[in-house]
Amino acid sequence: MRIKYDNENKLHRFGRYILISAVSLLVLLYVWWMVSIILGTPAIPAPPRVWDAFIHLLNHGDVVTGYSMWDHIVASLKRFAIAFVIAFAVAVPLGLLIGMSKTLDDFTRPILEVLRPIAPIAWAPVLVFAIDRTWGPILVVFIGIFFPLLTNTVFGVKKIESNLMDASRTLGANKAQTFYKVMFPCTVPYIMNGIKIGLGIGWMCIIAAEMVAPYGGGLGYFISMHAFNGSWPYVFVGIILISILGLLTIGLAERAHKIIAKRTGME
Amino acid sequence: MSGYIKIDNVRKVFRKDDRDTVAIENISLEIGKNELVSILGPSGCGKTTVLRMIAGLVEPSGGEILVDGNKVTGPGPDRGMVFQDFALFPWRSVWKNVEFGLEVAGMPKAQRDEKVERYLEIVGLTDFADARVHELSGGMKQRVGIARAMVNNPKVVLMDEPFGSLDAQTRNIMQAGLIKILDKTDQTIVFVTHSVDEAVFLSDRIVILTKRPATIKEIINIPWPRPRDRASPEFTALRKRILTELEKENVMN
Repeated sequence: MRIKYDNENKLHRFGRYILISAVSLLVLLYVWWMVSIILGTPAIPAPPRVWDAFIHLLNHGDVVTGYSMWDHIVASLKRFAIAFVIAFAVAVPLGLLIGMSKTLDDFTRPILEVLRPIAPIAWAPVLVFAIDRTWGPILVVFIGIFFPLLTNTVFGVKKIESNLMDASRTLGANKAQTFYKVMFPCTVPYIMNGIKIGLGIGWMCIIAAEMVAPYGGGLGYFISMHAFNGSWPYVFVGIILISILGLLTIGLAERAHKIIAKRTGME
Repeated sequence: MSGYIKIDNVRKVFRKDDRDTVAIENISLEIGKNELVSILGPSGCGKTTVLRMIAGLVEPSGGEILVDGNKVTGPGPDRGMVFQDFALFPWRSVWKNVEFGLEVAGMPKAQRDEKVERYLEIVGLTDFADARVHELSGGMKQRVGIARAMVNNPKVVLMDEPFGSLDAQTRNIMQAGLIKILDKTDQTIVFVTHSVDEAVFLSDRIVILTKRPATIKEIINIPWPRPRDRASPEFTALRKRILTELEKENVMN
């Protein structure tokens, strides 16, 4: 009887959650619609017009740029993924080293403190001009992901319980073994946290970078092209796609974090 | 008493903010093979520091420590350590925690399995081999800690208030369990504790330290066989005597 009650309660809670979420999104849709009517500007089209644009885009592709909707999505995700991989490969090892060495920490601190407050997108014109239109936007995203990932990794190393290191050493592990068998697993939850924050910032950077350097497809490119042409319903399709893909990416990271936390016993 | 562990005129000075604090002032002590020696003393007197110096985790400021004739220069698998807060690796299962020392020593898998199995049996955790650390009670955690230290077959096991964070009942069970484990192995044990009762229950000898800067105040031999009866008059009398000694150290603060 008890179990049944609990299950009912769970179902009830889930139903309530879905209902409230649905109402919340409907309110957002309503506000959007009202604003578009009140302002009457073509830059804020009503939802049905955006829906029509979406259907048209699905069926006929993007006539302005010659790409399909999927091409744009893949282009953005590809830049995002490359930037993430590079940021991970650089920030995590560097963070582990900085966390371990006080000298390196003191040395890199001023450099990082000076660079950190700069919005990554500020580098876009520089990077696009200095390197090229392919790698410029990727590097902007790299910068966006790099800093939170580095800071969190360094923090993770500093948070390692010294007892675990002592235990490892008294069990006969040498420095290298202690590094990858104890230090690295200890920092994993912090690294995952850095990834979550980094992905959020990186996703914002990719759109901005593609708008600054419109080239080779991508959602930012798509938006800036349609804004230039005044085809506002398409701009809104792009905006909504950014939201959905951003939610999916961060949801994925969130999920991975939970699984890893459970597997490593460090929730 | 042959000096298996030889602490020779060891001093420890901690430097903080350009001020030196003498934690330990010239301690000399010899511990025999197979002996169980407890170190007792007022809080903060440097008991743990002595243990950490034997482990090689802390370097003496003066003097030297020899274990089986070799000077201690750093931590090594010949000196296992059991920690008050267990210091288990939470991302590893019970089995993998115990296996750690054998793994880093590069022992072949088959041999590792056999050893881990044997030591899990000794500490009575065979059924929990695949459990996660956070699923265990405090007493079980420390049994993993003991198995992990013992599986390397160290010459010396250093125990830093190993039962200090357990409740009184579990503590008694663990003490009795430790005595049984010691019957099956031949390690030399150095045991740091706050509990006079625990020291009298377990030790061949008790070393009482003074308050900071710590020196050896007294060494007490306890020739009684184990397990010991806590209610016996000589047990109670000895416990009382040591408590009185320790109280003097505290009062002088």
